[in-house]
Amino acid sequence: MKERYQNRIELLQGTLDLLILQTLQWGPQHGYGISVAIRNRSGEILQVDTGSLYPALHRLEKQKWIASEWKISENKQRAKFYRLTAAGKKQLTSERSRWAQLSDAISGILNPKKI
Amino acid sequence: MKRKETREEELHEEIRNHLEMAAQERVERGAVADDAAYLARREFGNVELVKEVTRDIRGWRWLEDFAQDVLYGLRMLRRDIAFTAVLVLTLAIGLGANTTIFSWIRAVLLNPLPGAAEPERVVELESLAPSGEWVPTSYLDFHDFRDHIKLLESMSVAQPMALAVGDDVHVERVWGEVVSGNFFDVLHVQPELGRFFTGEERNDAQNAHPVVVLSHAYWHSRYGSSPQAIGATVRINRTPYTIIGVAPETFHGSMAGLSFDLWAPATMYGQLTATGTWMLRDRKARMFRVLARLAPGVNIEQARAEVLSLTAFMSKANADTSEGMSATLLPIWKSHYGIQSGLLAPLSILMGASGVVLLIVCANVANLLLARTADRRKEFSIRMALGAAPMRLVRQLSTEVLLIAAAGSLAGLVITAWLSGALWWLLPLRDAPKLLAASIDGGVLLFTAGLALAVAALAGLAPALHAARENVNDMLKEGGRSGSAGLRSNRLRALLVTSEMALAVVALIGAGLFLKSFYIAKGIHPGFDPNQVALAKFNFSAAGFDAQQADAFCRHLREQLERQPGVTAVSYADYVPLSLVAGSWEDLQVEGYVPGRSENMKIYRNLVAPGFFTLLKIPLLEGRDLTMQDDASHPKVMIVTREFMRRFVPSGSVLGRKVHGWGEWFTIVGVVDDVKINRLTEKAAPYFYAPVRQIYRPEMGLAFYVRTSGSVNEALAALRREAQAVDGTVPISDLTSMNDYVGVSLFAQKIASSLLSVLAGIAFLLASIGLYGVMAYSVAQRTNEIGIRMSLGAQRRDVLQLIAKQGLAFALAGTVVGAIGALILARLVTAFLVTVSPADPLIYAAAATFTMALALAATAIPARRATRVDPMVALRYE
Repeated sequence: MKERYQNRIELLQGTLDLLILQTLQWGPQHGYGISVAIRNRSGEILQVDTGSLYPALHRLEKQKWIASEWKISENKQRAKFYRLTAAGKKQLTSERSRWAQLSDAISGILNPKKI
Repeated sequence: MKRKETREEELHEEIRNHLEMAAQERVERGAVADDAAYLARREFGNVELVKEVTRDIRGWRWLEDFAQDVLYGLRMLRRDIAFTAVLVLTLAIGLGANTTIFSWIRAVLLNPLPGAAEPERVVELESLAPSGEWVPTSYLDFHDFRDHIKLLESMSVAQPMALAVGDDVHVERVWGEVVSGNFFDVLHVQPELGRFFTGEERNDAQNAHPVVVLSHAYWHSRYGSSPQAIGATVRINRTPYTIIGVAPETFHGSMAGLSFDLWAPATMYGQLTATGTWMLRDRKARMFRVLARLAPGVNIEQARAEVLSLTAFMSKANADTSEGMSATLLPIWKSHYGIQSGLLAPLSILMGASGVVLLIVCANVANLLLARTADRRKEFSIRMALGAAPMRLVRQLSTEVLLIAAAGSLAGLVITAWLSGALWWLLPLRDAPKLLAASIDGGVLLFTAGLALAVAALAGLAPALHAARENVNDMLKEGGRSGSAGLRSNRLRALLVTSEMALAVVALIGAGLFLKSFYIAKGIHPGFDPNQVALAKFNFSAAGFDAQQADAFCRHLREQLERQPGVTAVSYADYVPLSLVAGSWEDLQVEGYVPGRSENMKIYRNLVAPGFFTLLKIPLLEGRDLTMQDDASHPKVMIVTREFMRRFVPSGSVLGRKVHGWGEWFTIVGVVDDVKINRLTEKAAPYFYAPVRQIYRPEMGLAFYVRTSGSVNEALAALRREAQAVDGTVPISDLTSMNDYVGVSLFAQKIASSLLSVLAGIAFLLASIGLYGVMAYSVAQRTNEIGIRMSLGAQRRDVLQLIAKQGLAFALAGTVVGAIGALILARLVTAFLVTVSPADPLIYAAAATFTMALALAATAIPARRATRVDPMVALRYE
């Protein structure tokens, strides 16, 4: 069981990190809010697995790309909010360009242009 | 860093929040509450598993890395066992030397009052003579200090005393302290059994309270730790005492490094010394050491100011006895009592020297590590190319260094365990309380651990960072061919070996200065002849003798000894010159001499029997020696020294001149030459001798001198045998040859010079090994280059010169830097050097020569190896 989750983390790692960082660019958010935001913005296509989300959040925090603090949510509940740090913003930029390269490369392979 | 539990709670709450929010949203969309919670949970998946995976991200990664580093480090160290052994041994020597000397310093200076609570608040009150010299304190002065000083919470006298415990037939000599009733309050010590002094035992009534507190060790050895001992009677100096309590095991008395067996009230002093009651009632009878505890919130300066203002008043109120006197407060480690006074200077110097050794050790270890780092470049470059972060490599190397340092400090502790008792062999105290062994306690362990860490940082960090800074590509390229060594690495190694040589030169010069000083001091003639003289001290007060009994004993023993074969002269006196303890002095007034306003007229003296000067071969310059007729029933006489005469009787006849002391007028009947009294290195000071038959001071005991034409050992045996025959109840001590006895006066110099020589030897050995290592490595690295040079026609001599020149350049630079360093440092120890200049050219020249010779030797082997290189092999050498 444990391996299953770990495998998924690795599989999704780069992408999930990018998605989380991007989501936080719009403002501080708690874990549940992030998963809802990703689901909504992807048109309900991307379902973020909580088994990947929380490890990813903690890993990003450890790398100091995001920071967390306990705040009261819009529903008057105490929740742990994550926000993007300066280092996180830089990381987001570089991940975005890497993603662009990757998707260009992949689409280049999938749709070869005739010479 | 957050604690693990709170992080765990936070994670728990975070996930609970998530579930609640998910459920709430479902409810908002119209689901039933129970179903919503269930669905949210189902959607979330296995909560515990999510937590565990998240925890892994957070938690133990560093620990796993560390464990991996340790395992890998151990494997690396085991693979090159010789290299590891050299490192560990080098570190063990450096750390062992430092830890050993620290354990001595701790036992003697840092922790002088084991068993006492808040010992740093305990201070010593020392009276000061008008000359500024410290003197013991009289009971009456103590009385006034105790009753009037407010900034001291409590105050007690404490005086070490050799006591005779036992019956009329057999006595055992033990060391005790006579103390005030509140002695244990001053030290904040609680009894292990029974009680300490209470109630009436604390008043000043003399000879009224024969009670005694035993040490734990004495209680254990004599009473088998039986509680029955409380209330039992013990005979001390022929008077029965009641045992009232036992001190805790950790407490050994109030003198650093010494261990006492019992404590009796100071008010029993007169009885213990068979002197009646006058000694505690005479302000001039200065014989006590005074301990005090600072009142809460008061610092030593404030209390000292109060003491000073009180003594200013006292010196006027008691002008007849105390004019010009004052007093001061000192921390215990600065006290003049106990062994620390003599050890402070040598131990500080030794600590400095062992620090030098440790620095050399660091340099050596750093050098070895650098060399190995260079050898491991390939390994590092491969690891870095495979993605290891530079910091990860630094950590790996640091872990290895830490492992080595840990092994080195463990081995060093073993050395310390062997050597921590060695200080007491070096100490000259024959007639002294038992010495506490220096032990490896928490403080010492902490010191070693800290030192090991510092060494690891100092020696390991540079090579580690060095390795990490290297460029991967360069390393991969260079690692394949070692044609030329990394420039930076070589420069660092050159710097290290040069500083090593410099440090060794400093140590060598230091040891040289101390050795020379010691031998010069040893060569100073004391003014008397200690050869062929046997010595023994007798404690008459412990035997309860009065003046008549002591006189009878001495005369009888003298007659018996004079009959022994080989004995050529017998005499006795109450002081032995060049003892570790200062003798007594007397306030004198010399007829026709008007002292200056603040002139010190407290003149040291010795009470001697007839024949003393002849026996010690002290020349009689004028007048006559003392005779047996100079006794209590005849007019008082004295013999003065040359310096006494020069100072106080510069003109006119000295013989027949009157001198006032002990409340009476004495007539000078003779003049003898000056001798060394306290130290071999002192300048002559006025001194005088009075007949022991006219002035009797039993509390000092008397020393018998026996000059023999035969063996001193036989004379010593005769002394013991005959003393037993005359009266076996008189405790005998310091049975030794006079040569040994006076040799003791140089013990501080002896410890310093002998241990410094050992440390300098170690320093030098290590530095030579370091130099050899660097040269050998350099030759190995340059094999390729040497091969090229030789194939291009260089001669062996050229190659030899090339290598030797480099090695000697290191040594020369080291010598110059070291000599300059020594010049600066030697100023700090000038006070310790006897008639040796800190810039003694001979020592410096010798040290330089020695260094260059050793450097030549250390360079010669690698240089010769370089010349044997076969050019063809060398060119292919990798």
